[in-house]
Amino acid sequence: MPDDFRTLLALVAVFVPLSLLSIGGGASLLADMEHQSVAVRGWTTPREFADLFAISRAAPGPGTMLAALIGWKAAGWAGAVTATVALYLPSSLVVYGAARLWGRWRGSVWHTAVERGLAPVAAGLLLSGGIAVLRISPGGPAVWAAAIIATVLLMRWPRLHPLVLFAAGGALFGLAGLW
Amino acid sequence: MSEGVPLGGATAETGRAVREHHRVGLLAIFAAFYGLGVTSFGGNTAAWIYHRIVRRRHWINDVEFLSDVALGRIMPGSGGVNLTVQVGQRLRGSAGPVAAVGGLLSGPLVIVVGLALAYTRIGWSSPIHGVLDGIAAAAIGLTFATGLKLLPSGSARLGPLAVALATVLCVGVLRWPMLPVVLCLAPLSIGLALLQRRNA
Repeated sequence: MPDDFRTLLALVAVFVPLSLLSIGGGASLLADMEHQSVAVRGWTTPREFADLFAISRAAPGPGTMLAALIGWKAAGWAGAVTATVALYLPSSLVVYGAARLWGRWRGSVWHTAVERGLAPVAAGLLLSGGIAVLRISPGGPAVWAAAIIATVLLMRWPRLHPLVLFAAGGALFGLAGLW
Repeated sequence: MSEGVPLGGATAETGRAVREHHRVGLLAIFAAFYGLGVTSFGGNTAAWIYHRIVRRRHWINDVEFLSDVALGRIMPGSGGVNLTVQVGQRLRGSAGPVAAVGGLLSGPLVIVVGLALAYTRIGWSSPIHGVLDGIAAAAIGLTFATGLKLLPSGSARLGPLAVALATVLCVGVLRWPMLPVVLCLAPLSIGLALLQRRNA
């Protein structure tokens, strides 16, 4: 029992700093998680870490749910919950504080200008995120082509439910994998 | 960009009007984010939030959504979770983020560990890799379609469009670090928004 508890504390000690230092998200976070769980703490082997990464990409939810899997590997279900809370709670509190402060100026000229000014930057960031995922995707040209087709279909028919495309894409590429 | 609503146009009124007429319940917030959590394959939470919360439920408008996306990205933590915190706060003050983030993460947490358990039993096979590739492609398509729809359009919005394209070029194509790029382009874009307001 005390050993389990110590592992949970170690998970908190690893993921709380990651939560607060991971500005810019994604890639830098992943490298730090890998270093901590493989080299420093020995929770996973390099091979296991690669597998867990692949599993986390297959599941729905934020890409960083990989943290839950590292926690699970280290200390079972309690570890999964502990790692998730430790990774998301501290940064969420910071963002919540900022959002409240920010909301106080709602309606002022500055508030409106900042919101409108950030909008085009955010649209650019969304598109850049798509390009980044495309780049690391192992599927090659077939995935590029399918991504473009999905984009066109969604632009042409905005009412189309994205899950229909997800199911079609999964089925199509799954069948191709059977070949 | 079919049915492209100009930023701050019709939808700006819709989002606020819906919020003022009836406060969104905590259970409804939890349920909405739970639903999008368990279906948001491909890790692009923001695109799903746009589809489910902005487009379908009109709980917030385009400008609010984009502003939260930008602030969520430049603060520590996961962009998708940060966005969820901010949307929850807009909808329901301090309890909103708890309901929204709880809804967003509880489903995927169980699913991801379930997948890991299944994987230790059966392992990967090539059809499974194929299915994952197909889902990834659709997720990328959803992200692109969302980003393209939210690009500023119309002759009066050439400045903002240039800012958006510069962001794509620097971060997406040239792979420069996001934070300095945003810290350069955001003040420029905010200045533009102030100028346009003066002229209007």
